[in-house]
Formats: sequence, structure tokens, C-alpha cells
Amino acid sequence: MSRPQTRPLRCLLLAAAALLGCSTLAAADRPLVIVIHGGAGVIERAHMTPEREASYRAGLGAALDAGYAVLEHGGAALDAVGAAVRTMEDDPQFNAGRGAVLNHDGLCELDAAIMDGAAGRAGAVAGVHHVKNPIDLARLVMEKSPHVLLAGQGAEEFALSQGVVLVPESYFITPERVRELEEAKRAAAGREPTAPLPIRPSATKGMGTVGAVALDAQGHLAAATSTGGITNKLYGRVGDTPIIGAGTYADESCAVSGTGQGEYYIRQVVAYDICAMLEYQHRPLAKAVDIMMHEKLRRTGGEGGVIALDKDGNVAMDFNSAGMHRGVRDSHGRREIAMYRDSN
Amino acid sequence: MYAIAIHGGAGAVPRATLLPAREQRYRAGLEAALDGGYAVLERGGSSLDAVTEAVRILEDDPVFNAGRGAALTREGAAELDAAIMDGRNLRAGAVASVRHVRNPVELARRVMEKSRHVLLVGPGAEEFALEEGMALVANHYFRTPERQAQLEHEQRGERVSDLVPPTKGTVGAVACDRDGNLAAATSTGGMTNKRPGRVGDSPIIGAGTYAKNGVCAVSATGHGEYFIRAVAAHHVCAAVEYRGLKLEVAMRELLHDILKGLGGDGGLIGVDGGGHIVMDFSTEGMYRGARDSSGRRELAIY
Repeated sequence: MSRPQTRPLRCLLLAAAALLGCSTLAAADRPLVIVIHGGAGVIERAHMTPEREASYRAGLGAALDAGYAVLEHGGAALDAVGAAVRTMEDDPQFNAGRGAVLNHDGLCELDAAIMDGAAGRAGAVAGVHHVKNPIDLARLVMEKSPHVLLAGQGAEEFALSQGVVLVPESYFITPERVRELEEAKRAAAGREPTAPLPIRPSATKGMGTVGAVALDAQGHLAAATSTGGITNKLYGRVGDTPIIGAGTYADESCAVSGTGQGEYYIRQVVAYDICAMLEYQHRPLAKAVDIMMHEKLRRTGGEGGVIALDKDGNVAMDFNSAGMHRGVRDSHGRREIAMYRDSN
Repeated sequence: MYAIAIHGGAGAVPRATLLPAREQRYRAGLEAALDGGYAVLERGGSSLDAVTEAVRILEDDPVFNAGRGAALTREGAAELDAAIMDGRNLRAGAVASVRHVRNPVELARRVMEKSRHVLLVGPGAEEFALEEGMALVANHYFRTPERQAQLEHEQRGERVSDLVPPTKGTVGAVACDRDGNLAAATSTGGMTNKRPGRVGDSPIIGAGTYAKNGVCAVSATGHGEYFIRAVAAHHVCAAVEYRGLKLEVAMRELLHDILKGLGGDGGLIGVDGGGHIVMDFSTEGMYRGARDSSGRRELAIY
């Protein structure tokens, strides 16, 4: 009597296993992955010096390995992206935290966001002037407040209430960014007030938002992004970085962090739209990213790049700019750092 | 067909406690905004002008939570957010945490048309307003005795007074003009007793406000944090564009499955590329109105 009963059951289990196999890889096959970017505003190749390039590569490598170490020790994707982004915030050659670009008034105004793909939770801050690591404050907004986005003085008030130590504005400002602002102001003279600002002040200057996406041993995804915005921006301007869905997004199947001319990323809801193409049109990650960077953003304008990661560990790093500081490391032994189109 | 829909916030007061005189005021306010926006479309104006006009009227009316009569922060100040989006070219403008701008939706429109940016916040946004020649008003212009009482109730941990409009309220409008161009606008004071600096979904393009020609225009109201996390307005547009869902199905799925799943509630108004209006909510009610060139004209709360 037992045979006729168990057989259909076993068939059902096999079918279920096959179905699961199609949609997600088994835990054993699924890699640990972290992908980072250090901005799409690369120095034009002709102007790049070997010392400068080595310095960018070292900075990206340090962030990549800091994030990967978290994953390797069984840590959460959320902790890994936080560690990678914090490392780049502390490195003055990247446009986030220390060394962030300056607004029209010569001050740093920092934006950051983090999203936990498994829980759909998010936290973000915009326009903060005195928070050493905005990515850590974004995480506190997510975990310790009922809100998602806090801006300006209110965000700093919240930081103080959480015991975060504030730093003076001078901590963030580097001589190089001061020179870049002067250059950008000269270049902007006579330009229409509605003309979009370039992602870097000139071909000889490198800048760009920083971000990370990661996949952990539990199969959870997370995304984080941090920036000083765009050189010579208006006081109060907020770009795509702290806007959930625009510059930062993660859900159960996809995580994205962007860098570029933020206004266009907001209008196209870039990060979420890539995930929507994946989910609703069943496009492979690389194709969805390709459509966004080379069709949709080309149509409206909008120079920059994105990094993206899906739940199976597929990675896409693409840009429509001259290059993008980027890196990827996974548990299959891949470790790459690149800046220009030809994977180096 | 041209059409406009407006909302004055979701989470309406329980029917049993809404006094007839009070209800009359809401209806009159909604009617003025609906007809003001519709008149723009009727004389051949753009959907962008129609939503600006409708939202401006709602901002000026102290019974709604936007502009004058906005909900107050825990420090007793009004902090206003607004956004506008043009479906023709995906241009957008938004402002957050402004304290002295009489009509935030007009400043959002200036950000879209006169600056290179999409979102300006706080004192920087007001600096831009001054550069644009807009007169600022004192913060007390926005504060009404009802909102003050509501804040005190909430701070004492009491049930929010049934006499005042919903704390989750927001105002918004979507429109489709004679040329089939879509636009959306949203404006709010946010949540009563919110932390200073808190920004909700209204000024977040893709969350509380989105418009794309041939797809849909959407304005949201509700518990903003959930609408941000779900990228609500763009989610609806993506479901229409990529899955071919009807607007009503996409909105129902977002409100009743996705947001419910996260624990959030609220409402949405939307118009599709053919001028077809949809209004839906997961709260007890939503102050709303719709009018189109086929003769539809309705105002409703529940």
C-alpha cells in the first residue's frame, strides 16, 4: 500500500527540487561575492600617471578586501558593503567622506544610503556636513529610527542622539578638491544654469561616488553608496546616491549601486529599474544593465556607471563614461580591479 | 481624452466621527483643486500646469497636510516636501525640508526648469528660491491651531484627534492633457511629530511621484517610509510597462500585496496613457477627486 503513495510524493519532491534548482543555486554552489566601485569619473588615460593609478588600485583593493573579509568570516552582506564603503570614505582620493568634492560654497555635503535586500529595509542621509562616515549613519537611520531618509541638520541631530561623534568640516576638505572647485567654477562661467554638471571637473581630475554590493553565505544581498555629490553643486542639492531606487537598491534577487550624473539616475530610477527588468522581463542581469547604461540613459543623457549583482552571484559592472573605478572578488578565486574599458 | 485626479491624503477619519460641516469643508477644498486643475486642461493647457495648479490650491487650503496647515515636526515647525514630474521627457524637480516656501510645488517646478538639479533640500533649497525671486514667508504662516493641537495630542501619546485631517496625509495630482502628455505632482508636510530632517516619499522621484508618457503618472500618499522602500510609484509604472498590467491591477498589487506585506498602508492615484484614472487605497478612506473630458466628475472620501 505504501508504494503508490510514496511515488507521487517523491515525484513531487523531485519536481520541487528541480524548480528550486532553476531559480536559485544550491548554497554550496552559490559564491560569496562583493563588487565595489569608486566612481565613474576616471582620469583620462592620457593624463594618468603610474603613481596615481597604483594609488587608486591600492585604495580599491583595500576596500574590496575589507568587504570580502566580512563575507569570508560568515558575515552578512550588509556588514560587507558597510565595511567596503567605509574604507573608501576614509580614503581621500575617493569622492565620499574625507576628500569629498565641494559644493558651490566650498563645503562638503555628504549623502549615503544602505539597503538590506533580504528584509527590504533601507536607511539614508543627505546633506550632512559633520559625519565622518555617512554610511554608518545611514545604517543607524535604518536600524534605530522609524524613518528611511534624514536630511541636513536633523540628520546630524539624530547622529548625536545615537552617540556618533561629529567632526569639523575641515576634516573632509583636501587642497586638491579646493583647486578642482576653482577650476569647475571657471569652466561653469557663462554656462546655462540648467546645463548638467560634468561627472569630473576636467579630464585630468578623477572623482566619483563610492559603492558596494554583496552576496553572503545566506544568499542575502545588500547595497550601499556614499558620495560628496558633484563639484560646484548648489547648496542643498541631493543626487541619486541617498535615493532608494535611484542610486542604491537591493531586494531578494538583485542589488545595484550607481555612480554618475545623479539627476538622470533619479529621473530614470536606475537601480530599481534594473531590478524590475530582471524580475518582470526575466532579462539576464548583464542585459538589464546594458539596456539601462547604453539605451535608457543615452536617450535622456546621463553619464556614469553601475555595479550590480544578482542572487546567483552574477556580476555586472558597466558604464557609458570613459571608465569606472571598480573591483570584484568572489569565493571562486576571482579578484579583479579595473578602471578603463579593457578590464584593467 | 484629457483627465485629472487629485488626492488630499489617505487614512481618512472614521466615517462615524466626521462631522457634516467638516466633511463639507474637505469636499469644497477638493472641488476647488479639481476644477482649478481641470480648467487648465480644458483651455488646452498642459498636464504639468494642471497638476501644479491643483496642488497649489490644496497647499493654500489649511485643511490639507501641505503648505498652509501642514503637519508639524516634533519641534512644532512645518517642514515641507514636494515634487513634480513631466512624463514627456522624464524631467523632474523636488524640494525637501523647506520651512519658508509658501508653495513648495512651485519651487519644485523651478528646480526642474531653472536649475540643473532634481532635488534640493533645506536652507539650500530656500537660497535657490530667493535667487529665483520667490518671496519667503514666516514658518508660522503654515501653522494652524488644529495642527498644533494634533501635535500636542500625539506628544502626550493620545489618540490623534478625530477632528483634524490624517497625519499621514499628503496632497497630489496626476493629469493627462489633450496631447496625451502625463504629469504628476505631490506635496506634503509629512508626519505629525516627525523628527526634524525626516524626508518621506513625496519628494522622492519613483517613490511618491512618477510620470512617464505612454505608461502612467502616479502620486502617492501614506506611510512614506514603506513607499520609499517599495519604490512605489515607479513600481506601478514598471508593472504596467514591463508586465503589461492594467494600471488598476498594478496599483492594487502594490497597495494590497507588497505594501501590506511590508506593513505599510496608504493610497495612490494614477492616470494611464489613455487618460484612464485609477484611485485606490488600503486605508479606511482617501480624500480624492477625478474629472475627465468624457464627463466623469467625482469627489469621494470613503
